[in-house]
Amino acid sequence: MFHNSSQKKYWIFKSEDELEHMRCKANQKFRNKALESGKKPGVSESMFLQRHEEDVLFRHYERRLLEFCNAFKPTMPKSVVGTALMYFRRFYLSNSVMEYHPRIIMLTCTYLACKVDEFNVSCTQFVGNLVQETPAGQERVLEQILEYELLLIQQLNFHLVVHNPYRPMEGLLIDLKTRYPTLESPESLRKTADDFLTQAAMTDAGLLFSPSQIALTAILNSASRAGLNMESYLTQCLGLKEEKETLSKMYDSMRRMKTLLKKYEPPKLEEVNISKQRLERIHAEFASSSNKRKRGYEEDGHVAKEPRLVEEEWTDEDLI
Amino acid sequence: MICGRDHGDQNTAQIVDLGFTLHRRRRNRLLKSVVQTEMDEQGCPRCKTTKYRNPSLKLMVNVCGHTLCENCVEMLFVRGSSNCVQCDTPLRKSNFRVQLFEDPTVDKEVEIRKKVLKIYNKRDFDFPSLREYNDYLEQVEDIVYNLTNNVDVENTKLRMEQYQRENRDVIQRNKAKLTREQEELEELLLQEQQSNEQRRLEVLQEEQRQLQAKRKNKQALLDELEQSQLPATLLLAQHKVRAAQLETQIEQQKQAVKPTSLFSTGIHMRQTVSLQPVTKIEDVLYHYRPLQVETYGPPVPELEQLGRLGYLNHVRAAVTQDTAGGYTSGLACYRAIQDAFSGLFPLRG
Repeated sequence: MFHNSSQKKYWIFKSEDELEHMRCKANQKFRNKALESGKKPGVSESMFLQRHEEDVLFRHYERRLLEFCNAFKPTMPKSVVGTALMYFRRFYLSNSVMEYHPRIIMLTCTYLACKVDEFNVSCTQFVGNLVQETPAGQERVLEQILEYELLLIQQLNFHLVVHNPYRPMEGLLIDLKTRYPTLESPESLRKTADDFLTQAAMTDAGLLFSPSQIALTAILNSASRAGLNMESYLTQCLGLKEEKETLSKMYDSMRRMKTLLKKYEPPKLEEVNISKQRLERIHAEFASSSNKRKRGYEEDGHVAKEPRLVEEEWTDEDLI
Repeated sequence: MICGRDHGDQNTAQIVDLGFTLHRRRRNRLLKSVVQTEMDEQGCPRCKTTKYRNPSLKLMVNVCGHTLCENCVEMLFVRGSSNCVQCDTPLRKSNFRVQLFEDPTVDKEVEIRKKVLKIYNKRDFDFPSLREYNDYLEQVEDIVYNLTNNVDVENTKLRMEQYQRENRDVIQRNKAKLTREQEELEELLLQEQQSNEQRRLEVLQEEQRQLQAKRKNKQALLDELEQSQLPATLLLAQHKVRAAQLETQIEQQKQAVKPTSLFSTGIHMRQTVSLQPVTKIEDVLYHYRPLQVETYGPPVPELEQLGRLGYLNHVRAAVTQDTAGGYTSGLACYRAIQDAFSGLFPLRG
């Protein structure tokens, strides 16, 4: 359950500032490492991506991830999509997009999420969903995914169980139908609440609030949109009549969550392209110098085996 | 205890108790030699083919560690002593023993070990601490290893002689103890054998008696039919009754158990046992406290109450196929409610 899960212990943070701080640290860490490793000509501070550019790229690849999962055959259950998004988000909390390219990490996240959530897809079936690639290209992608899988698990600190807000939402709807007859048809709230949850998955809400809180916010939000008042649910059914403080704190979190969702804006195409170009340059520059560390999880000083294949560059258009 | 295989018998493996424990270094080699296939054995180094043609032929090993088949031994050592075929060491015919292991070096080591242990026969209670006993065992293994692999033979022999001189009386004492123990064991074995024999004889005698009784019964019937005035059917009926009685008697005798004088643990029935009370150990009495888990949310109704409270009306009903495996719709409902309420309230602090 969520209350004694690793998600609550290690992956719920106090504020958005803390998250921003962690991401800046990751950015800085990569800059230091890159500057240290090679004093090559052509490498300068200005090459590196700024925080807001990294953000743009992150949001762009997140959308690609969502589209890939939605177009997946067989149909991917929502919990798998949620888990994959959460992995993606957590990974880039402590790593920079400049160090590990998002397009590989995004597929690795989805692959791992399928395994963890017991959505049984064979690896060939998985890469078969990359319709733009030739079978040989799909093979290459698969090899890359398998290389980065262990790194991903390590960066998630081996905390693989992710609690998504979908089942709490179902539970709340059941509870509403049973104990709250004032609300005539809770089913009508389902669609808008679902959309709210999908939007929330694209924000940092999963790293700041518990999934049941997100689900409750979704339902209250869709109720207020429909013009229904559900305050009495909180006071009566959830037993919060006396607990004024808890109630106000909960309203506070809900307000914060709604702000987060409002703040989210889909990335603009020109910005994305510019940032992407700069990203490719950085990867070309530093991937060649750190060729030996292609197997991401090896330690320093380890003698690497011969690379099994020459890593060919496949582009984003190959994805969907 | 390690086991050797008698090469003389191809089809069954006879277990031979060699009476000592093997150092782990040697054990792997030994295990390899025990696990072997039937026909694919080494031939005699001299007359190579004869081994396959004659499966009952035995291989013999001598002190140098090389093997020869029985016939070759006969032929070569007709004079009583000769030199080994492979290593040219002078050997005596009497030193040849039947090979027990596939690898002749193992046999050689076994022989050497027997000789060494005749001298180094201290036991674990002869030593004040475990460490010293292990050091002693390590010494023994070193000596055996050296002698087997012809490493530093002179020094090792000197060491052995020195030890023998120093510990002469301990060796004697242990030898005596060993023989005493062996005698006791043999006595027990003999006793067991004797009691087994007795039991067997008794059973045989019983059977004899029963057979006799039956025969007598039959004879009695014939006699009566001949002599008595009563009608034949009556006599037959009487005979049947008597036969039935005999049968029950036999059954009862079989059931009767001889009273023993020994409990199964070995204590004699009449032996008095100490009835001192065992020392009392008092500890704090255990009180059960049910597990409290903080869920940071409103209380969840019990699984059994869900139906009564009306939750199950809003959950998809379980298909008969699902209920066969033990699934109820209450389980899914309970999980959803638990997830909905877990972590709902803001965390303290």
